Amino acid sequence: MAERPAKSPIAGHLVYRHNRITRLTHWISGLALIILFMSGLQIFNAHPYLYWGSTSDPDKAFLSIAASQDDGDVRGFVDLYGRKIDTTGFLGVQQGVFGPFARAFPSWLTVPGYYSLAAGRRWHFFFGWLFAISGVVYLIYNLAVGHIRKFLFTLRDAKSVPAMTAYYLHIRKTSPQEGEYNPLQKMAYTGVFVDSSSADLAERNGDVTAIEYCFSLAACAFRRQAIGAHGFTSFWRSGFCFFPRTRVHGSDPRLSQ
Amino acid sequence: MKLNPKLSRRNLLIGALQGASLVLLSGCEKLFDSLSQNKKIQSLLEIAENGSRRAQRLVTPRNKLAKEFDAKDISPKFRANGNPPPITMEYTTDAQNHWTKWRLEVSGLIKQPASFSLADLKSMPSRTQITRHDCVEGWSVIGKWKGVRLEEIINRVQPGTDAKYVVFRCMDTDSDGVNYFESIDMIDAVHPQTILAYELNDQPLPIDNGAPLRLRVENQLGYKHAKYIRALEFVSSLDKIGQGKGGYWEDQGYEWYAGI
Repeated sequence: MAERPAKSPIAGHLVYRHNRITRLTHWISGLALIILFMSGLQIFNAHPYLYWGSTSDPDKAFLSIAASQDDGDVRGFVDLYGRKIDTTGFLGVQQGVFGPFARAFPSWLTVPGYYSLAAGRRWHFFFGWLFAISGVVYLIYNLAVGHIRKFLFTLRDAKSVPAMTAYYLHIRKTSPQEGEYNPLQKMAYTGVFVDSSSADLAERNGDVTAIEYCFSLAACAFRRQAIGAHGFTSFWRSGFCFFPRTRVHGSDPRLSQ
Repeated sequence: MKLNPKLSRRNLLIGALQGASLVLLSGCEKLFDSLSQNKKIQSLLEIAENGSRRAQRLVTPRNKLAKEFDAKDISPKFRANGNPPPITMEYTTDAQNHWTKWRLEVSGLIKQPASFSLADLKSMPSRTQITRHDCVEGWSVIGKWKGVRLEEIINRVQPGTDAKYVVFRCMDTDSDGVNYFESIDMIDAVHPQTILAYELNDQPLPIDNGAPLRLRVENQLGYKHAKYIRALEFVSSLDKIGQGKGGYWEDQGYEWYAGI
């Protein structure tokens, strides 16, 4: 399937900005990310603590989600570096049929809703692989048809970043955009690929197996530590990937003409 | 007619959205709960485990060692998890006798069935390693282990070519009385760091950590490290072991391959 040439948008003409493989892998990735997020929270619930370093002393966790009971009043809280933040009603404690019970993330946010680390892992690894495979398919296809070149962030784009930022901040009147994507879009799109590999490496203090590098987004299957931390940076990364897309597309001068 | 100010289009939309998201969320939860209990969906999701095992084995050299640590990294307390220690008369008596009556029985598809006393195992060449134990739940602890390499036992009992797995029979039971058991394949069995450990942090293996003998299979998650071992069995298939998934936790939905 050949890519249609980008025409300037005229009223009544549909512009096919993305090819079918891009659209298909986009939605598969979107579904996979949602399930990865929700099953990841299920996995996190098994031990709702985050630590720095190689071992896990719950007293030395920098973040934990727990419940406390005082005179029958059950409160949920997040403990961040010793500061307790009351999160009753959302995190730490949940209302059940038989009264409140301790649970880090509430059941409506996890897959499955009931507590099952085993089932959470099954969902997580399956969709981890699906996400990785859909990413590889996307990459190979778009490398083959040359689509990647349109959004590959180069040195030339780096020079236009300040100007583009100024344009978005309404400091500059004209857009420095040259191709189909502006420098900030290119940075976001290229960054997702670079970042997804490097962030996992950074989390693991350099102790990495080759497969983790190859499939870093499905890497939790092979992780030795910081399983929770992996989830949190992955979530940050998916945010990194979603946010610029909506934000940047919304203010793309080509679309607001 | 004056419109009720609370019934603005904006508020109506927000209300509808809130209602819809509540229905959607509880619907999603019910859907995922029933999918998670559906056998066909579960076997579909289980495909990923094969992918993980194959990919991991493909890119990891056979004898690649798990990271070993320095003495200063050892955790003050080695957290014990899983079943409580066995409470049978036999176990407690054996413990009081410093395991002099305990024996490791080795059977199955082997040319030389054998049984070893703890003294026998201690007289064999040993390996000492400071490694990190990673629980499936997400916590880790570092300890120093000393034991006999499983390959040492394999060389003595000479499994046939049809022996594909080593099954570890354990003395601990869950609250329903089901014995713990685990299994690994021959690739992991002969890995240099796969040992039957009888010492933790220079002390005889404590009861909480699996005395008198436990498995250390350093390239897999904690639940694979069978404690309170009484026997090894070499088999060609895991179908008839427990409920057929190869381990106590595996029968409850955990992955048989827990490579890290």
